[in-house]
Amino acid sequence: MNKDVDISVNFSGIGLANPVLTASGTSGYADELADFMDVNSLGGFITKSITLKPRKGNATPRIVETDSGMLNAIGWANIGLDAFVEEKLPVLEKLSCAVFVNIAGETIDEYVAVAQRLAAEKAIAGFELNVSCPNVEKGGISFGTDPAQVTEITSAVKKVSGEKILMVKLAPAVTDISVIARAAVEAGANALSLINTFTAMVVDVETRRPVLANKTGGLSGPAIKPIAVYLVNKVYNEVAKGSGIPVLGLGGIRTASDAIEFIIAGASAVAVGTANFIEPGCAIKIIEGIKKYCACKEIANIKELVGSLEVS
Amino acid sequence: MSEKCSAANKGVFSAAVRANKQLGQRFYQLGLEFSGAGAEVFANFKPGQFVELDVSGTALPPAEAIPEDLVDVSGRKVLLRRPFSFCDVTAKKNKTFAEILYCVVGPATLRMTTLTAGDSVSIIGPLGNGFWVPESKKRALLVVGGMGAGPLEHLAKVFTADYPDMEVIAFAGAKTVEELPFEARLDEISQQLGFSLGEFAKYGIESLVATDDGSAGFAGLVTDCLSEWLGKSDLAGENMIIYGCGPEQMLAQVAEIAKDKKIDCQVSMERRMACGIRVCQSCAVECRVAGSNETVYKLCCEDGPVFESREVVF
Ligand SMILES: Cc1cc2nc3c(=O)[nH]c(=O)nc-3n(C[C@H](O)[C@H](O)[C@H](O)COP(=O)(O)OP(=O)(O)OC[C@H]3O[C@@H](n4cnc5c(N)ncnc54)[C@H](O)[C@@H]3O)c2cc1C
Ligand SMILES: Cc1cc2nc3c(=O)[nH]c(=O)nc-3n(C[C@H](O)[C@H](O)[C@H](O)COP(=O)(O)O)c2cc1C
Ligand code: FES
Repeated sequence: MNKDVDISVNFSGIGLANPVLTASGTSGYADELADFMDVNSLGGFITKSITLKPRKGNATPRIVETDSGMLNAIGWANIGLDAFVEEKLPVLEKLSCAVFVNIAGETIDEYVAVAQRLAAEKAIAGFELNVSCPNVEKGGISFGTDPAQVTEITSAVKKVSGEKILMVKLAPAVTDISVIARAAVEAGANALSLINTFTAMVVDVETRRPVLANKTGGLSGPAIKPIAVYLVNKVYNEVAKGSGIPVLGLGGIRTASDAIEFIIAGASAVAVGTANFIEPGCAIKIIEGIKKYCACKEIANIKELVGSLEVS
Repeated sequence: MSEKCSAANKGVFSAAVRANKQLGQRFYQLGLEFSGAGAEVFANFKPGQFVELDVSGTALPPAEAIPEDLVDVSGRKVLLRRPFSFCDVTAKKNKTFAEILYCVVGPATLRMTTLTAGDSVSIIGPLGNGFWVPESKKRALLVVGGMGAGPLEHLAKVFTADYPDMEVIAFAGAKTVEELPFEARLDEISQQLGFSLGEFAKYGIESLVATDDGSAGFAGLVTDCLSEWLGKSDLAGENMIIYGCGPEQMLAQVAEIAKDKKIDCQVSMERRMACGIRVCQSCAVECRVAGSNETVYKLCCEDGPVFESREVVF
């Protein structure tokens, strides 16, 4: 068995010690997870969506469990750019893993303002543009379903991002995700992340009302995993592979084999979301599991695994 | 306990099930045992704090044991952990024993009923801020609504042990006598005095029972029972404190009464929680900002679950 497995990843020029990150909105601003894992052992960390101004978020209930999944409608509740810079950046500066800041907004100017303010911050490796959030009235998913808007927002943010790599997070519920992916790449995206949640609804049959105060929410968790794997594979084949752009795969990952499925399908790295709620240290177990898998299969470098799906 | 206390050393622990006793049609008490690091951490568990329990791998009871109203939901796979308080915590040498009083309402609590002695369960905790006891209080009123009994039973124990001079009275309400989550409901002597619940009587604490349908004790809401009782009380509001745990409507009433009588009041809030560890932002509680008309969302799992009632926007 080959013990010297290299699972480090060159993610569009950013060196990740391993391919496992934690997903936006499921791991706070990093210090929250410190009780459960050594965040520095991650390949990378992605913050909760940051908006220009603080946002209170939606009324409750904000979540409801479904079969093998959950809906959330948090509504970008976050402390806003200024408080983020003041309170959270100092924490993130101490991390040795790659830090990505997830940016959201209702207008293109808001995205640009956040990116501009953070572009010179050393603690940050890159941005993840959330153009795919289903839980706010304006912005979010409406940007992410229209290729023209994706082009516009990606190029506008790219202009002010300086050295930071720009990753665009794609919405899954579109007619052809490759069209959106291509729009992002052509406008200057350095990486793609997919998938965000699916807009969904749960009805209380006693009251005939939606359970969530926001009426709809985003479906995440194991229930969406097979769709996410499919979409990652599609984007890898149709857009990413040809343009040499890495894909961050996510959606329902809980175990090392879940993560490996995404990698085989074409993801260069993966992110753990909902599973952090159930087993806050599971990302570390996934890293160990990936190493073990590679060792068993005599894969010397994880690169060999990326997009290695056999279809013939 | 005089200071607001938050969770230190929280983590994922495994606990051994010691017992799982059915107390009533829908009520059970789960006995847990922590050893090693868990024993140390949970020895300091404060009343009102909570844990997140993973029962996703626990089996369903046999079909005939599933209440009719839960048949449809019972098949749903449990994904997320569930929040629970402890109703009793006892630290012995190398072990800490904790009890969860729970009501069967859905797929997770249904699965919990099949846990048996020797099983092991995964628990995240201790989480959140528990109740605290401000200086200068002479009398504490514990107001329980249905399943809110757990943390207040635990608080009763702490009062008896650490605040021997505090006069403590419990008020417990439910729709019917069947829905009172207590094992020992009534006895003859207590019937003469009002009513007494064994769970509080064992700490020397008097209790008053209210049922909406009058099937036991005061006929009406527990908050009306409390109001009536306070009407006859001679102690100034500032010397008293109310602790409430139960349905939100009840807590809102308790908060009103406390405000009216100028009594300090702490309430334990419930929210649907995806994580319990402040990473998901699902558990927002709308709170007033002192000195302004604005409100903010605080996190039930992090800033609560116990809040000062005057702070909460019900
Ligand atoms: C801090 C805290 C402490 C708790 N302590 C206890 C305890 O000691 N004993 C106990 O029996 N229960 C306690 N609960 C409630 C307990 O977590 C729920 O009853 C449990 O999650 C139900 O899971 P289930 O899968 O059986 O039912 P589900 O299907 O999840 O819920 C059944 C129904 O109950 C309601 N519900 C569930 N969770 C909540 C919630 N958090 N707030 C409001 N309504 C809800 C919903 O209407 C739902 O349809 C506590 C909750 C919190 C937040
Ligand atoms: C409670 C919750 C909050 C989330 N918040 C954000 C967010 O702020 N920004 C974002 O881009 N994605 C957010 N997401 C989406 C996740 O990052 C991820 O794309 C999605 O949940 C799928 O992965 P999973 O199934 O592993 O959770 C959130 C997801 C959940 C469950
Ligand atoms: S339950 Fe997740 S933040 Fe409170």
